[in-house]
Amino acid sequence: MVCPYLEYRTHDESHEFDHPRAYCGASEAFVSPMQADVCNDRDRFDHASYCSVYRRLVAEIESGDD
Amino acid sequence: MTYDDYLAGKKVILTVATTGGVHGKDANLNLPEQPAEIARDVRECERLGASIAHVHGRDEYGENSAAHLQAVNDAIRDHCEDVIIQNTTGGQSAYESRVRGIRTDPPPEMASLDMGPFNRGQHIITEHTRHNIESLAREMRERGIKPELEAFNNGHLNETHRLIDLGLLEEPYYVNLIFGGGTFSMPSPRNLLNLVDNLPENAEFNVLATGRHQLPLTTMAVLLGGHVRVGMEDNLYFERGRPAENNAQLVERSVEVIERLGREIATPEEARSILGMD
Repeated sequence: MVCPYLEYRTHDESHEFDHPRAYCGASEAFVSPMQADVCNDRDRFDHASYCSVYRRLVAEIESGDD
Repeated sequence: MTYDDYLAGKKVILTVATTGGVHGKDANLNLPEQPAEIARDVRECERLGASIAHVHGRDEYGENSAAHLQAVNDAIRDHCEDVIIQNTTGGQSAYESRVRGIRTDPPPEMASLDMGPFNRGQHIITEHTRHNIESLAREMRERGIKPELEAFNNGHLNETHRLIDLGLLEEPYYVNLIFGGGTFSMPSPRNLLNLVDNLPENAEFNVLATGRHQLPLTTMAVLLGGHVRVGMEDNLYFERGRPAENNAQLVERSVEVIERLGREIATPEEARSILGMD
């Protein structure tokens, strides 16, 4: 399952691309090709374990629940 | 390779690493990602003096894809004269994906061979186990592919000596000494001198240094009788605050430096001869 915050966009406020690229809705930034492997849960990677942004977000949500 | 090689005017092998697997167009819009873009850059760099093109494959979203190396190789062969193609087998992908870098048709003349793992981000260590490295080295030898031995840090030179002791490599050993942040060798002139002192006998060495270290440490390599790799894979800027316009801009500057220091640039044919590939 890919990261729920992953989007594919052609632009944001400071970028304009010919083709859509991986964009992190949580950090509101395009992500690097290597990070995109994690966002897409490719190979041995899964975003819940390998993505610092996702893990931090989950931790914040859980602490807020407490 | 020594200072004597510099004094003797030994020719410099210039490698361009056009794309890499780390950065995307969001970091520098001029980074070539698609096969035709990469081939155009390689062609221009070959014209300026690059004899080796180190390449990665990207998919239509600009993401890493070893499956696209075939298209990159085909485009380079269509656009370029005689440049030596060096496919990556590195990165954070699984072995089954990375090995595709030596299974293009025809095989590349060269391929990178990482000498050990390194960190990526907060949670990733690349899967360059000894088993994987030896498997790649064996298959490269079977296919007649010259490995470019990537030593990301001092310990990777130990691993290089080990691979030689196992009889998996052929002379001259082409060692790429890598400098930068994280798990890479700390970028300093003294560390470069130390690594050169610890090279195996009958080795040729190249220097790769990331970001602002690219120009000074590759220049130092020229004086030490080594070879040079530049390009946007390793450095997205021409100078502080000024993004590189293309790979040719970085190659052109290195050619000027090398020639000003009194060494000539090797043609692809001469590079093959230096590396024992002819």
